[in-house]
Amino acid sequence: MRLLKFRRFNFFYDPYLLVSIILLSFIGLIVLYSASQGNTTIVIKQSIFVFFGIMLMIGVSQPDPAFYKNISGLFLVFSIFLVILTILFGNEINGAKRWLDLGFFTLQPSELIKIALPIFLASYLYDKSLPINLRHTFISILIIGASFFLIVFQPDLGTSIVVLLAGFYVLFLAGLSWKFIGSAFAMFTLSLPFLWNNLLEPFQRQRIATLFNPEADPFGAGWNITQSKIAIGSGGIFGKGYGSGSQAHLDFLPETKTDFIFAVIAEEFGFFGTLILLSIYTFILFRCFYLSFNARDRFCRLTIGGLSLIFVTTIFVNLGMVVGILPVVGMPLPFISMGGTSLLSFYIAFGIIISMASHKKLIQQ
Amino acid sequence: MIDLQERFIERKSFIYRLFIVYFMFGGLLLAVLYQTFQLQIANYSEYEIAALENKTHEMNIQPTRGIIYDRDGNILVKNIPTFNLIAIPNKVDDPEFFIAKIKSFIDITEEEENIFYEKFKSKARYNRELVVKTDLDQQEIASFKVRKHNYPNLLVEKRYSRHSDFPNILSHVLGYIGSPSDDELSSILTEAIHPRQETIFSYANGFISGKSGIEKTFDNSLRGEFGEKVYEVDARGKLLQEISYTKPKEGNSIFTSLDLGSHIAANEALKGRMGAVVAVEIDTGAIVTLFSSPSYSINDLSNGISNNQFNALIQNPNKPFFNRALRGRYPPASTIKPALGIFGLQNKLIDWNFSIEDPGFFTLPEDGRIYRGWKKGGHGTVDLEKALIVSSNTYFFSLAYRSDINQLADHLSKFGFGKKVCLDCFDENEGLIPDPQWKRNKLNSGWSRGDTVNLGVGQGYMVATPIQLAYYSSILAKKGAINKLSLVQSEPNQVDHGMNLNNFTKKDWDRLHIAMTDVIDSPAGTSRRLKDLKSFQVAAKSGTAELVSLDSKEDYLLVRQNEAQRDHAIMIAFGPMPDPKYAVSVVIENGESGGAVAGPVAISVLKELIK
Repeated sequence: MRLLKFRRFNFFYDPYLLVSIILLSFIGLIVLYSASQGNTTIVIKQSIFVFFGIMLMIGVSQPDPAFYKNISGLFLVFSIFLVILTILFGNEINGAKRWLDLGFFTLQPSELIKIALPIFLASYLYDKSLPINLRHTFISILIIGASFFLIVFQPDLGTSIVVLLAGFYVLFLAGLSWKFIGSAFAMFTLSLPFLWNNLLEPFQRQRIATLFNPEADPFGAGWNITQSKIAIGSGGIFGKGYGSGSQAHLDFLPETKTDFIFAVIAEEFGFFGTLILLSIYTFILFRCFYLSFNARDRFCRLTIGGLSLIFVTTIFVNLGMVVGILPVVGMPLPFISMGGTSLLSFYIAFGIIISMASHKKLIQQ
Repeated sequence: MIDLQERFIERKSFIYRLFIVYFMFGGLLLAVLYQTFQLQIANYSEYEIAALENKTHEMNIQPTRGIIYDRDGNILVKNIPTFNLIAIPNKVDDPEFFIAKIKSFIDITEEEENIFYEKFKSKARYNRELVVKTDLDQQEIASFKVRKHNYPNLLVEKRYSRHSDFPNILSHVLGYIGSPSDDELSSILTEAIHPRQETIFSYANGFISGKSGIEKTFDNSLRGEFGEKVYEVDARGKLLQEISYTKPKEGNSIFTSLDLGSHIAANEALKGRMGAVVAVEIDTGAIVTLFSSPSYSINDLSNGISNNQFNALIQNPNKPFFNRALRGRYPPASTIKPALGIFGLQNKLIDWNFSIEDPGFFTLPEDGRIYRGWKKGGHGTVDLEKALIVSSNTYFFSLAYRSDINQLADHLSKFGFGKKVCLDCFDENEGLIPDPQWKRNKLNSGWSRGDTVNLGVGQGYMVATPIQLAYYSSILAKKGAINKLSLVQSEPNQVDHGMNLNNFTKKDWDRLHIAMTDVIDSPAGTSRRLKDLKSFQVAAKSGTAELVSLDSKEDYLLVRQNEAQRDHAIMIAFGPMPDPKYAVSVVIENGESGGAVAGPVAISVLKELIK
């Protein structure tokens, strides 16, 4: 238990997570300056966003986890409400309604569901007898499925799959029976051809095909991945130096500020920079592993486990895409990519994790 | 309430499951690390090059072609800058609409329009440019400039054109340039630093290569070397800044041995008749005149000509493209007689005192066939000297009759007949010395004595080109020494004094020269009319090549109604005597009389050269 006692209130925090997340955020801002071609307006805006994000995270970590257990249902309902609102009134970009324009901020509610769902499931399964019986499994799956399809219809396949995973992680950690997992996996495998033909848009199939053969169309579908590989590869061991990445600065690299920011790091700081970044992420994950192991109750355990798995999933979907071993899916690199709702969600998620890490029940159960 | 036992099992299961997922992501971490390692360390150099290639854009710069000079330093072909309206064909979708739009502000003639359509397709490949209109004036340039932003596929730029101030006079010898064939293009581009890159053109017509004449034979030397411009570019291909610039190396200038004045003189003397004039500097073997008529404008050919104009040139019955100086095959006729005389003296078939009675014809003993001379009644008693001066056919018929054909053919080849005589001429014809073997192979019939008799006066199967006649003339002038002919100034070509002229002394040569000088200077000479045209002595031999074999002069009068069947007029000459500097040959197709028609042409060219 870590807390600073002030005259009037206690301050709850976890130094390891706090320091590494603030460090990542700083690295993100520094790289953003280069990735945005030295655009100070963008960097200042993002700095403000990061500052409020960190404040929010610290704020969120102050209440007792019980608070989150109590409001988790409300949080999920509110998030779903926002998604429905988005589908009805959202900004339509390229045929997809994913964003709510709040004037000062463009909110992507599906990103909120990504954390609201696992927290709700953790609280739902908190007092159920384990292993979970069929009825609770069914109810959980119903909730997960509803959230999933809501986002599929935006349409936003990438986020919907992450939401699906988020729900599944919690169920799995809570002890979903292996038999169930096995049969679900078999069904999924069998229905793959159907999903490929019906669920995926042609451009999504194209992206997957591109993964296996980016050289087939280096100026079309393979452009992003080809240029990303060139950027990373040409970084070498120590990189081309801060602000000197030709791939990033001459616009060969796509989406340098957001999805492909890792390629900028790799180009300018080399394999060395890559290792440092991956070390920080690994450190955070080990800390989360430790925290969930020592969590004070099942709710905390499942929440920390679920949220940290969403975190690591996002990281690897992004990295896998940028280095060319996974298909191109719009997924930011947590705390580094210029953000949006996704970044906000992760600050909230880690605020909750820190709250769970720092609030221990005085009476051991 | 959950009991402690259950809590313990639950935690164990939780950790176990969390561990499985973490383990999976650990695998992913390794995969990402491995891939990053592959990209950044294992294959670093490959990606480093790829990144470098990404951001640099190299362009070749077309070199300008070398200048062609005559022997006095007069420029024969040069590059002149003009402002041209240039289209980028691969950015034009509809050529007709495109031209119609341009027409609204710049006059495009029908001719120019046709050229554009004809060349559009082939130019639309690669990044070749296509000139819409050359040599724009200030007003046209201005009216384009205000509309420039509407035409990303059109530009006005200073480009060079290949230009000669004497486009019709030196056409055949200089030749013209044109678009290279695909093979030529790839050969040109392999010399460039970046074979497949874009080229910044210096010429209005884009890639060029020599197509004929000196432009073709010396193409490699004239061509020059590509320069290079390297730009930094962004992903949209926008040129950001110039990184490096290598100046193109201008092509080598060619200093030819040609004499401009003699070509002008030849052109004036021939007056557009079909024929050729070749003159050679005797001491060096340098070709000073290589003129063929009629001709065409090399400026037109080099800078774009429509298919209609081109076809008109090709279908012209006078064949202006035909280089008569190098490829015209004419019977040498009486001009061969000095070579026959040398043969007779060498082989002791005759000597200078040997004479015959010339009744005006020669009767072949075998079958009584009559071979006529040009003068009815003959020349009376003729020895070799007189036979040359009056051009007695009978004398040489009888000399040839007594000659061995194989020996004679071998002898004639020493004078350059039947083979190429020029080191660097474009597409030279070899002519022909007939012999029994040739006749058997080609005509499938045996050699007759009559064939040898005909050869004695340069008729029958033998044909020679004007350049061979000039070469022959220069050997006669230089008393047997041989210089291979050449179009460029250089060290004197290798002189071979070893022409094996046994039993033929300097004295014999002097007598031969005197006899040939008397062809003009003697009152009996066939070319006596030329005597007063000049102030120096010239040795010569005229010839009149019969195209139709006839028995009498009356028959010829019928034949000459058809101009194309009239005799060719031929002249070889060298002077000034007694120390000749230049040897010349003239052929005028259907000119009839060698002495009277070809002679004055030879004299005016010699006068121009000797002055």
